[in-house]
Amino acid sequence: MNDFILSSLIFSPLLAALVVLLLPLRLQKLIKTITLLGTLGQMVLAIWLYIQFNGAAASNGQQGYQFVEKLNWIGFSLGTLGRFQIDYFLGVDGISVSMVLLTGIIGVIGVISSWTIKKNIKGYFLLYLLLLTSVMGCFLALDFFLFYLFFEFMLLPMYFLIGIWGGPKREYAAIKFFIYTLVGSLFILIVMIGLYTSVIDPLATATQLGLLEKGIPQPDAIRQVQQLLQQNMISSADLVRTFSIPAMMEPANFIPGSLLHVLSGVVLWSLPIRFIAFLLLFAGFAIKVPVVPVHTWLPDAHVEAPTPISVLLAAILLKVGGYGLIRIVYPVFPDAAAYFAVLVGGLGVLSIIYGALCALAMNDLKKLIAYSSVSHMGFVLLGLASLTVEGVNGAVYMMFSHGIISAMLFLVVGVIYDRAHDRMILNFRGLAKRMPAYTTFVVIAFFASLGLPGFSGFIAELLVLVGGFSAPEMSGLLPRWLTVVAVFGLLLAAAYYLWALQRMFFGKYWIFPELREKAVLTDLNAREYLMLVPLAILALLFGIFPHLLLNKIGTTITGFTQTVLQSGQEQLHMVLSTWVQ
Amino acid sequence: MNEQAAYLTDTINRIFAGAGSLLPELVLVFFFLLLVTLDLFRSQAIKKLLPWIALTGFFATLLIQILGGYTSEGVQFLNLLRSDGLARYAGILFSAAGIFTVFLSLHNKPLENLRQGRGEYYALILMLVLGLNLMAKSVNLLMVFVAIELVSIASYILTLIIKEDKRAVEAGLKYILYGTLAAGVMLYGMSFFYGLTGSLDYTLSSFWQSLLAADTLMVTVAAVLVFAGFFFKISAAPFHFWVPDVYRGAPMPIVALFSTGPKIAGIIVILRFVAAFEDPALATSFLDVQLFIGIAALLTLAVGNFTALWQQTPRKLLAYSSVSHAGFLLAAILAFGTGYTSSILFYLTVLLFMNFGIFLFLQIAEDKLDVRTLSDFAGLGWLYPGLGVVAILYLLSLTGLPPLAGFTAKLFIFSKIWEAYSVSSQPILLVLLIAGVLVTGIALFYYIRIPYFLFFKRNQTEEKKVISLSNTLLLGMFALPLLVLFFKPDLLLQFIQNILAQTL
Repeated sequence: MNDFILSSLIFSPLLAALVVLLLPLRLQKLIKTITLLGTLGQMVLAIWLYIQFNGAAASNGQQGYQFVEKLNWIGFSLGTLGRFQIDYFLGVDGISVSMVLLTGIIGVIGVISSWTIKKNIKGYFLLYLLLLTSVMGCFLALDFFLFYLFFEFMLLPMYFLIGIWGGPKREYAAIKFFIYTLVGSLFILIVMIGLYTSVIDPLATATQLGLLEKGIPQPDAIRQVQQLLQQNMISSADLVRTFSIPAMMEPANFIPGSLLHVLSGVVLWSLPIRFIAFLLLFAGFAIKVPVVPVHTWLPDAHVEAPTPISVLLAAILLKVGGYGLIRIVYPVFPDAAAYFAVLVGGLGVLSIIYGALCALAMNDLKKLIAYSSVSHMGFVLLGLASLTVEGVNGAVYMMFSHGIISAMLFLVVGVIYDRAHDRMILNFRGLAKRMPAYTTFVVIAFFASLGLPGFSGFIAELLVLVGGFSAPEMSGLLPRWLTVVAVFGLLLAAAYYLWALQRMFFGKYWIFPELREKAVLTDLNAREYLMLVPLAILALLFGIFPHLLLNKIGTTITGFTQTVLQSGQEQLHMVLSTWVQ
Repeated sequence: MNEQAAYLTDTINRIFAGAGSLLPELVLVFFFLLLVTLDLFRSQAIKKLLPWIALTGFFATLLIQILGGYTSEGVQFLNLLRSDGLARYAGILFSAAGIFTVFLSLHNKPLENLRQGRGEYYALILMLVLGLNLMAKSVNLLMVFVAIELVSIASYILTLIIKEDKRAVEAGLKYILYGTLAAGVMLYGMSFFYGLTGSLDYTLSSFWQSLLAADTLMVTVAAVLVFAGFFFKISAAPFHFWVPDVYRGAPMPIVALFSTGPKIAGIIVILRFVAAFEDPALATSFLDVQLFIGIAALLTLAVGNFTALWQQTPRKLLAYSSVSHAGFLLAAILAFGTGYTSSILFYLTVLLFMNFGIFLFLQIAEDKLDVRTLSDFAGLGWLYPGLGVVAILYLLSLTGLPPLAGFTAKLFIFSKIWEAYSVSSQPILLVLLIAGVLVTGIALFYYIRIPYFLFFKRNQTEEKKVISLSNTLLLGMFALPLLVLFFKPDLLLQFIQNILAQTL
């Protein structure tokens, strides 16, 4: 079981999708049930993995991944130019295991929320399952090519899910989403190609050179290959190029003279080419996060998407962006990460403040929540940029917590939209009188999101802010005023949530006259309880017992922070030394 | 007298010695003659047989070239035609293209209704493929010219095979006018080369040595003139003006053939021409020529992709898509010194399947569902889900998105360009790389319009027609390799490598 658990996680929705594909259109109940079973299976596996995952195991570089699956997928000899190797390479560490758990939970919530979808059920659930497969694949892949495959493949189901089942302006929103994300992934593609031409797999090269046959133990063989490589002693015919992300993290695996080697000294548009590569990768993932100023696709996509798709988008798809930054951008380019820390942190703070200000100005409840997502994801960037243990822990905590809470937020918007076919804040007043249970959950969701102590959002924001404040001493990367500005984001969050609450839910009951005929404002039904109660419990659970998550992610993140910080300073020194010359 | 006799015997001996290497071409000629002869009979039974004879011919050449063994490395036919692995692999692609064209033609409604000239139609396809094979084998400028003209003349007639169609006639006329102009220009350039070097065999090192000694400006001008002819065949800018007209007017199977066969052959000719640049010392002496190809590639990418954005008919959209693919291939050709041949051949193979697939889809849409403009696709995806999904596969592969072979092909090409840049640091390579990646984003914008209409728009009709089993099978046959070649590209790469090394 342990050997294939990660593959099972990825392919259980795909299996369900195959079954759905073969079912005739009219068996709608069965299609829904199969989808639910597929996602439930994925969730059970995710929870099991989370429990089995050993959070205390050390993690650095090539080691430290658990449940690793590695198979040769595509391998080809290029004659005198060496070999290239693409692996089916999966593994989890503390960072991915939290995202896997989140994906498992949200996948099930999304299906329950999709129960009322009426149009083209079969197509909808097929795409839904494909989407879950690719998101899960993204969180588990350790080979860049495999990651990119899943990353790109996410776009397609999403495009159709928004474009076919969305609101009135769905076509515009779908194409905007698609183009934005595609441009982002093309940036990533360029850097991926560059990394692939620059990086070798030391173990495979050792095999190619026959070192392992001579009885040299693996770690020594790897070290020997890396030394030989840096001295340019390996003929190019023996080099095995790779897409493996762990291999890309070690500067010793870069071929001397390749463009992305730390000492390449290539300057492009008056920046070292490694910095350019970092900026391209960062931009690619920042679009997905999304970071201001490339966030404009998000409000459109959210407003037009049907409720379950909004939930998925906010809760797990955005996390892929943040995850990519942590998994790939920072460890592979730690030098540039140190150099551009203020830029990354600054964009994070800009997102926090700008997102919150926009949220304050919105009349559409769903747009308000979309902008609050932008604002909250800014904390991820700030925590990451600080490169302190607290900050990065906070960033990952924020991704997890935002996943739970934003799912809740979009679900509560869905509840009012289902009943009134409208979600303008000003069209409603005093809903608490009519829908007391609903209002309770709205209050829980809003307070959890604005960072009330006791909810998971509070822990996340606290950790990020502590990290930000200690950054000047600990990592020396961020000025303190940035974090001071970020604190105002909390204030603004309280303002837009409480104001919305006051306008929509409190006071005397009133709704906009034109809506009165159609709107049937009944309170929550069983299906909605089934979604909201577990999420509320989770938000509380992870707010009161943060060690539930921190125990799993802590060791990995400590290792991550130290490695990135340390090798970042070393490599930055090297890059700068060639740059000045 | 004796001397002449000896020369004659010698030549005849050489012809016989080299003739074996032309087995696939001889088979094609045989089937061409057979077809033309049988076409003289009036019997309907024989007329029905004609496409199948053409098919047999293509299958025979396909088999011969896959099995190999009819020639060995180094055998040349009179210093004109070289039968190496490159030509053999190209020959496989041409035979496949021929087979696909006949398959498509058998399902094409306008061709079914064609009263006159069905025999000629299939005979001309054989002739065109023969010309393509010769193009891929030519190592002599004059032979290149003759082969290209053979392909062109067959193309002109095939374009207007349906004489009742006004658009076909207009397209054919434009094609002839542009074609003869390009041919003339190319011949002019070739005469420059002959004057500068005294040789027509451009694979000889003495050819390039004499060019090194010649006036740079003259060499560049000659190269530009010759490349004009090549560009015309692969539909690269600025010699692409015939493309939209011909794609709009010609029968669908012929369009599909044009978008693949001559393009593959043209790329192979250019590949042979620039093979000398694999030597870095030589390459640096011809930077102008490289820059010229690079700029043409950029222009082709820009023209193809930006013009495609405004098209309202699927045929024209795919015409400009075809131009844009020529741009990618031209860009790839500049990655000297990286062993790029197998990557380019991989791309060409994928292109073959993608293009025949999408044009078959379009043929079904036109003949059965009366689609003329993009908006006619509205809602058809819901009526014919299978057809819609397959169309999405083709289009995404054309765009270059995973998990389809179009992505792998582009990935290989881009990594070759990156490698070449890290070796030579020529700025044009970096520009091409960035442009190539960015236009992929633009490409999505127009390719996605077909699925957009298929699935996002309401359909105007509820009437459902039956799509024949053979069409469905063909659609699957073109789509399957796109998936397989994404997940296991090394299978094909290994095959290409073996053929290039003539070890198979």
